[in-house]
Parts: sequence; structure tokens; C-alpha cells
Amino acid sequence: MNWAYFWSLFSISLHAMVPITLTAVGEVIGESAGLFNIGLEGILLLSAFTGTLGARAGGPILGLLVGLATGFGVGVIFGLICAYWKGSQMIAGVGINLFALGFVAFGLQVLGSPGFYTVPRAVQLPPIRTSVGAFSPLIPVALLLPFLIHFLLNRTRLGLRIKAVGENPEAADVAGVPVELTQLCSTAAGAALAGLAGAYMSVSWLGSVTKEISAGRGFIALATVVFSGLRPLLALAGGLIFGFFESLATWIQSLPGVKEVVPWQFISMIPYVATLLVVAGVIGRVRFPKALGVPYRRE
Amino acid sequence: MSWLWRGFRPILESVLAGLIGLGAGALIMRAWGYHPWSAYVVLFKESFGSGYGLASALANATPLILTALTFAIGARAGLFIIGAEGMMYMGAMGAVALSLFKLPAGIHALLALLCAAAAGILWGLIPALLRAYRGVHEVISTIMFNWLSHFLAFYLVANVLVDPVRAEKTLSVAKTSRLPLLMRGTDLSLGIVVAGFFALLLYVFLWHTVIGYEARAAGANPHAARYGGVSPQKTVLLVFALGGAVAGLAGAVEVMGRPPTYAVYSGLTNIAGFGFDGIGVAMIGRIHPLGIIPAAVFYGGLQAGARLMQMEAGVPFEMVRAVQGAIVLALALPELTRILKVFGRRLKVRREQA
Amino acid sequence: MAQFLLRAEGLTKVYPDGTLALSGVNLTVRPGEVLGLLGENGAGKTTLTKILSGLLSPTAGRLLTPRGPIRFHSPKDALKMGIGMVHQHFALVDTFTALENVALGLGGISLPSLRRKLEKLMEDTGLRVPLDVPVEKLAVGERQRVEILKVLARDVELLILDEPTSVLTPVETAELFKFLRNLRDQGKGVIFITHKLKEALTVTDRIVVLRRGKVAGEVFTRETTAAELARLMIGTEVEIGRRPVELALEGEVQALAGAPSQGEPVLVVKDLQVRSDTGELAVRGLSFELYPGEIFGIAGVEGNGQTELVEAICGLRRVESGEVWLLGQNVVGRPPTELYRLGMAHIPEDRWKYGLILPFTVAENAILGLQRRFHAAGFLRAWAVRTHAARIVREFGVQTAGLFAQAKSLSGGNQQKLIVGRELSKDPKVVVAAQPTRGLDIGAAQFIRDLLLRLREEGRAILLVSADLDEVLALSDRVAFMYEGTFTGLAGPAELTPETIGLLMGGVKAEPR
Repeated sequence: MNWAYFWSLFSISLHAMVPITLTAVGEVIGESAGLFNIGLEGILLLSAFTGTLGARAGGPILGLLVGLATGFGVGVIFGLICAYWKGSQMIAGVGINLFALGFVAFGLQVLGSPGFYTVPRAVQLPPIRTSVGAFSPLIPVALLLPFLIHFLLNRTRLGLRIKAVGENPEAADVAGVPVELTQLCSTAAGAALAGLAGAYMSVSWLGSVTKEISAGRGFIALATVVFSGLRPLLALAGGLIFGFFESLATWIQSLPGVKEVVPWQFISMIPYVATLLVVAGVIGRVRFPKALGVPYRRE
Repeated sequence: MSWLWRGFRPILESVLAGLIGLGAGALIMRAWGYHPWSAYVVLFKESFGSGYGLASALANATPLILTALTFAIGARAGLFIIGAEGMMYMGAMGAVALSLFKLPAGIHALLALLCAAAAGILWGLIPALLRAYRGVHEVISTIMFNWLSHFLAFYLVANVLVDPVRAEKTLSVAKTSRLPLLMRGTDLSLGIVVAGFFALLLYVFLWHTVIGYEARAAGANPHAARYGGVSPQKTVLLVFALGGAVAGLAGAVEVMGRPPTYAVYSGLTNIAGFGFDGIGVAMIGRIHPLGIIPAAVFYGGLQAGARLMQMEAGVPFEMVRAVQGAIVLALALPELTRILKVFGRRLKVRREQA
Repeated sequence: MAQFLLRAEGLTKVYPDGTLALSGVNLTVRPGEVLGLLGENGAGKTTLTKILSGLLSPTAGRLLTPRGPIRFHSPKDALKMGIGMVHQHFALVDTFTALENVALGLGGISLPSLRRKLEKLMEDTGLRVPLDVPVEKLAVGERQRVEILKVLARDVELLILDEPTSVLTPVETAELFKFLRNLRDQGKGVIFITHKLKEALTVTDRIVVLRRGKVAGEVFTRETTAAELARLMIGTEVEIGRRPVELALEGEVQALAGAPSQGEPVLVVKDLQVRSDTGELAVRGLSFELYPGEIFGIAGVEGNGQTELVEAICGLRRVESGEVWLLGQNVVGRPPTELYRLGMAHIPEDRWKYGLILPFTVAENAILGLQRRFHAAGFLRAWAVRTHAARIVREFGVQTAGLFAQAKSLSGGNQQKLIVGRELSKDPKVVVAAQPTRGLDIGAAQFIRDLLLRLREEGRAILLVSADLDEVLALSDRVAFMYEGTFTGLAGPAELTPETIGLLMGGVKAEPR
């Protein structure tokens, strides 16, 4: 076993970190404002698909933007249902996931390939080539964004308002903060990041779309948010951890001699088992906003 | 009068949401250049317009009733179990595994159903324990277990239960362990009776037994339930067990009662999705065990029709799942009937003006 | 200077459920005065102030400022017009510091300059609080100051305070009053909402009395008496409870002893220690005995451990140390259902949390905790449940659309009657009643109070925990005062003077005789 093997593990880890980190950090914003979106999985799936359409139409940058816009749009719908109309966040999230499952399967079929579509190399986001390998330009984005959002949430007045809405919406309301609007914008911004993450997967990282492209990452991102206790920097750490486990699975399978001993299906379980263990170990020590998941009604 | 409205309102909301969902589906088809009206005509003519179509609708509804029950009983007890998918895979594996044994007909089927239910229960055990004693949210744990189940089932299909002759599928369920068909030339098997029976059973359980009362109390107000002597831990374990059992049965009825395959294909292509569809069905059925039956038949009919719609109008059948998602999104709105009332009032005003 | 700061004309509020909370209320607030708004629970005080501060909009009527009529769509609009409200339940974000709480929603000023402004404000008003500690770590009185500073930082002209003293000790109350007078002298307006006659007489210049949503009278404070106010508030002079409250005795805090009791105690609490949700000791080594045929009252400002004490006795909260003996058995660690089998009933403080399952029907709620009595081979005996519920509805006069109406469709008073009926159907020897009349209309409250007295006559033992001092004094044979998790004194109501009560509630201990 040589150095190159470990280097490839590092490289895959960084790439696998991006969607989880972006999605988790986005969800941190939404949950800080009190909205719990279990539809992230669906948003990843939808935007992976629409991002492809965007890239086909106008190149990789447009693809990423379309993914971002898809996430934002779904986030606005979710925010309207949950913040303004006081609908159930759980049910709305499930609705998004189901819709995405059907819509993407439908869309892939229309593209002409049942269940699978390869993004033409010409419209994939070109990687940054360095002396140590090729990296997606979104890796630095995913590494920096958590710091930006950390600053936003903890050092700005807007962040103060977002957190107040999640912690005590009545107090925020009395203080003149528009509760519903703040929740809508926060969850939509978070969903937009999930959308970017989805488009990244198809347009930059994997270069293809399948019905299973999200592979539970939306839920792993939710677990990352639990792990982070709504702190963006810890969400980045969580993204790195889960990204590592995901690539560990891929990496082990690429090692000579392992496949013959352990069936690949069991190795593929690694990220999910790791998620379970981390969440089970960390729970109880984390404090969440008091009004998380509870629709705010003025008395 | 008010109690009549209370019973009627959920039905009305579901119908309204159904229409919204179909409308959203029409928009999607329109956007992709299909003709929604003719597609829907084909869809509903094929599904509910003939005896054969109706039999297919019921056949499709069979596993959906069971997986929807998993979600419904969880939701009634305050748990958001979205793990029916994984439990259902394990149930299917359990039912197929029993075909490795030679047993007399009848008993064989019964044992296979039992084995499937046990597999489903087992698959819910760890998420249940994590929820009851560690407070790990069941949405995260059951989804992770869905993926574990996905890979475990892949492994079992390819390595353990594989058909020695045809490697793309598992062994077929033994003849002695198959559920008899109710209608010649259709897919409709005794499974629908099993599913209906369990819906009835869970209805009686939830509304007419002491433990069911306690489970619903735990779901509606956990504090008051604890005050009333309900153990939250026991409730979680019991509800997960019941949910796991019916989800396991969903996998079993699908492989034991669905000609011509009577097996699981690699990639789980012929069973994947029932667990997730069950969540939508449960919501359309307003998480009521009896409401689930018509909801499942409706959705099963959409699926049956959609396959023919794909052949005749060229619209990919997955469209109906997007429709279902839109229906569920509409159902998340608590104000659905109020919107309807306002609309009705406006109509009335307009009529009076005229 | 304007003749008035705010005027309300013909304010009427009908809630969606049909309750008429206000009808045709007129009100004027002038600069440089403290206006008292006096009324019983449910008189419409809170509704009125919510309208004035923009949280609710009126069904009819209008608000006027010197600049003309105005409509508030949110508290923000009211703040823009210089009207700020300090709520009874603080609108603070617990995890934020005082500075952050003030900064919330206050645009156009940087945090450092806000800090300077607050420091100046604290200097001027004497309202000192630490600015950089999360408010959840502050004492209740300090939190209220944060609330007031929050409003003052917006340069308001009219400050509305909703029952500000209900959470304060006497010393803190005196400081608050000093501050309010100070504010008045600066030419600002204050609306001071209370149901306490003495406070209204002490701090206000003018008093508006509300009764059942209407203005029952408007008087200048220096021209009125407590008796007149009480008459305006209650309507006719009614006697609450068993005997009129007499607080006539003079004297300082001295040795106090409860009335002598007979027989064996049915409930004995020994050195009880209980922790609150945040992990602090909320009950610190409490001991008392409860005898059959008596009402033992626990008075005190809310938040001094009463909730935790009741929950621990009733098996809903873990006991840290100490013993609870119910009818001769140590019941520490036993579940609530077992306690009820031994003969305890609990009328919970938070009826929406522990008392009822709101989406359940009246019949289903009538068996909560008793459900295991109503089964045959695991099945609920529907007929028996129905008869049981029907009996409670009949005996306790629960007004409901039917046994299958949802509990949430009942009014507060009827919900409480349903709970009380269910608990008493357990035929208890010991009744623990926590804040049993809170939020009820006068009729329902009276019904509950009469019922407690009847239970006492029947020889049952009643532990009454209430923040309503008058209620505790009127009903109890012995009264204990709770302060920061311990009893500061134990007395028969006749032994007490207003001063002793004030001191005991404020944490000054009575010496043993």
C-alpha cells in the first residue's frame, strides 16, 4: 500500500464533504430560525437533476445557479406552507421528498435514459488542476461558507433576529422582528445551499444523475446538524467526518484484496452506521432552539 | 352537526388535496410537452374503468395498505417512522428465505408471513431502542436503517437467496408458500385480505383497546399520557414492533402474492418504493387505519393506470409519485378546508349578486 | 405638550371562538401620569393592552394619537408611535444577553453605541442589570428590568406594564414604583395593570376599572378608597370562600404556628429536595404534614419551587432526596397511577400539559389515568366509559356539546371542571390542587373553591398551592409561605398581617416560637 492510496482517500473525502457541509450549514440557518426541513433529501435530488438541465442549456455555471434557484424555490414553498400557513413541517418535508422521487424519475425517463443520465463532459464544471490532483472549485466554497455563516449568525443583527425567531418567536415579534418573513428567508436560503449541493453532485463531482444520487445525504446532513448543535463550524467538522466515512467506504472497495473478503454491500454501510453512532453518542448534550418545529401563532 | 363536520372534513381535505396533486401533475406534463387531459383519461379509464383495472388497483394497494399502516400507527403515537421501506425489504427477504424449507401448503405460507413480520420487527428494534432510551430522533435512525437494509438486501439477493439458474433474482417463493389468487388472470391475491384484516385490526387496537388508547394518548400529549400512567418507552417499543410487523408483511405479500415473479429482483426493482409510497398513502388516508384502505386503492389505481399511460400516451409512470408528493404537500396545509369555505362563500355571494 | 398620548374609543374585541373580551371601552392616557388599569382575572385588561400595544387588532372601535386615528398592525407600529409594553410573561430570548435582547429589532444603532446608550439609561433610571450575561442566568427582577430597558431604549412616551409586580418581591416592587414615579415626573405616560387594590392606590394618579370587558368606573386615585375600587371591580360585594379575608392584626414577624390538627397525617413530606428542569435545587429540604379534613395552603410568589414540589409529590418529577409518605407508605419513585390507586388525586397547575389531551374527546379525557379500570380482556368498555363521563359532566356541570366533543372545544372553566370531576371520581383521600382557579371566570373559580371546601367537610385532606394570596388565605386552615424552595413561615390565616405576609413572601423567615 502506498502513499497515493491515502492521497486518494483525502481527495475523495474533500469531494464528499461538499454536499453534506453545504446542506448542513444551510439547514443550520433554517433550524436557527425554527424550521425543521426533512425535505433536504428531496431538494438535493431535485437540484441535481435541474442543475443538469441548466448545464445542458448554458454551461456548468448556469447549472449550479439553476440548482441554487431550485433549492430556493422549494425552500420558499416550504417556508410559505410552514411559516405563513402554519402547516406541519414534517408532512411538508415528506411531501418534498416524495415529489422529488417521482419528478426526477419522470424527468430522467424523459431525458431518454431510465434512471441514469451522464452529464456531458463539456458542460461539467472544470476542476482546478493542481500539482497534487484535480479539485472541484466548490471545495473552497464549502470550506469557507461555514465561517461566513458563523459570522452572519453570531456577529450580525440579522443573525440575532434569525436566532431570536427560533428561540422565542413571541419575543421577536414583540421586538418588531417579522417572524414569518425571517423564517421564510432563512429556510429558503438554507434550501438554496442544499440546491447548490445537489447541482454540485451532478455537474461537478459525479458527472451523472441517478434516481439515488442523493443517497441519504440529505438525512446525513440533518444528522450533521444534530451533531453540530446548530454551530456552523461544527457543521463543517461534521461534514468532514461524514465525508470521510463516505469516502472510506469507496476507498476500501478500491483496495486490492478487500473485495474478495468483505462483500461491497457491507462496506457501503459504513457511512450510515457512522451517522447512527455519532448521533446516538452526541444526543442529549446538544441544545436546540426552543421553538424548533413549532409553528408560531400570535395569541 | 360539529361532529359530523369533524368526520367529514378530513375526507374533503383529502379529495381537495388529490385534485391539487393531479393539477400539479398536469402542469408538469404540460411543461414537458405531454397532453395532460388525454393522459389522465387513459390513466383513470385503465385503472378504475374495468374489472381488470380495478383488480390491478387492489393488487397494487395491497403492500401500500400495510406500509401505510406502519406510518399511521407511528404517527398516532407521536412517532415519525419513515423506516417502512427498510422493514419491508427485510420482510420480503424473510418470506423468500422460508422457501429454502419444505413444508406443507398453508402452514408454509403462514410461517413465511410470520417470518416476514418477525424480520420487520427486528429491523425496527434498534431505532426503537435508540428512540426510547437515547432520544435519537426516529427520522434519522429509520432512514439510516433503510439504507442498511438496502445494502443488506442487495447482498442477500446476490449471494444468499440467489436463484442458481437466474442470477438476476432470488429463488422464487415455493408453491406451498404462495398466496392464492382471487381473480384468474389478474395479480389480485389473498394478500389484499391480509392487508385489509390488519387495517381493521389496527383500527380496533387504536380505538377500542386500553393499550391503543394509551398509545394515542402518548402521541397527542406525552405529558398527560405519562401522568395517566403510560410508559413512553414501552409505547415506543410496542408501536415500532407493530409497525415493523405490518411493514414486514408488506414485503411478504408482495413476493408471495404477485405473479408471475414470486421473487425479488436484483436492485430490488420490484419492491423498492412501497415504503415511501406508504407514507403518502397514510397521509392521504389521514393516518386512520380505515382511511388508508381507500387511499391505497386510489394510489394503487394511479400506479396501475400510469403503467398503461406510459405505454399509450408515453408519459413515464413515475409521474404519479410526483403527483403523490404534491398531494402530501397540499395536505400539510392545516387551512385547506378553510380555503374551501372562503371559496364557497365567494361563490354564494356571486350567486346572490346575479 | 399634547393633551393626551393615546386615546381609545369604543374598543370591542370578539375572539374567533365567540368570547366577547371587550365591549365599547373608552380610555385616555395623558402625559405625566400613571394610569391604573384595575380588574379581576378575565376582566379584559390583557386584551385591552394587547390592542394598545399592537399585538391584537380590535373588532370595532379605534385608537387616536394627537396626530389622528391610527391602526396598529404589529407591535412594531405601536413602538413607532412611542408605545411600548412590558408583558407579564417576559418576551426575552433566554439565550441572549441583555444587550442582545435590547438590540433585537432595534435598527440603526451599532452595538457599542447601544451599550453606551443603555449605560446612560441605567444611570438615569437606576435600573441596573449586567449587560453581558445570558438573561436565563438573571433573577426574575433583573429580567423585568431588561424588559423595561428594552422598551425605554426605543424612546417611548407611553409605557404599559402588565401585572409587573406578580413576580417581584416587596423590595423589588418598591424600587419599581420609585422608577415609575420618576418616569411620570419626566412627563411620560404609564399604564399600570394590576388586580391588586393596594398597588393601584399606591402608585397611580388615575384608575380605570374594568369589569367583564366594560369600563366599570374611572376615578382619581386621591379621591377614592379601597372599598370603592373593590366594589367597582367585583360589582356587588361578594364573599369569596368560607370567610371574608381579614388582615387586621398588627405586629412584626414573630413566632407562628399552624392551627392544631387532629388524627394521623395522611401525607407527610420529610426533608424533600427536588431539582428544576435546569438542574438547580428548586425545593430545598421541605417538610410538612397534611391532616384529614384540612386545607393546607402554600402561598408564595410563583417560581419559588411550588411547581417542582407538586410534581415531586405527585410522582411526575424525580425526588433528589427526602421522603414522601402517603397514607403510611413511602411513595418516592412510584408512578402517578400507583399514587392514585393509594388514594391521591392531582389537579394539575398546567391543565393543557398534564390535565387534558386536547384532541381527545370528553369521554376519552374522563378516563385518563383510570383507563385500566375500564377494560375487559384488554378492550375498552365503551358503555362504561360513556356512563362514567356522563356522570362527571352531569355532577360537575361541564358544559359541552356532547361526550364526543373534543376537549379543546370546551371553555377553560369547563375543562377545569372536567379535570376536577375526573380526579374526584378516583374517590381520593388526598387532593393536591395546584393553581386550581387560575385563568377561570369568576363563576367557575367560585365553583372550584366551594368544591374544595366541601371536600374538606367530607374529611379529605387538601393541599392547595396557589399564587392567588386571597384565595389561599380565604380557604386554608393553615398557610405556609414558600420562598426559594423553603417555607419562610407557617400560620393560621388569622395570625397574619399584611406586613408579615409581605415579609414572608419576600423571604424573611419567621422565628420558631
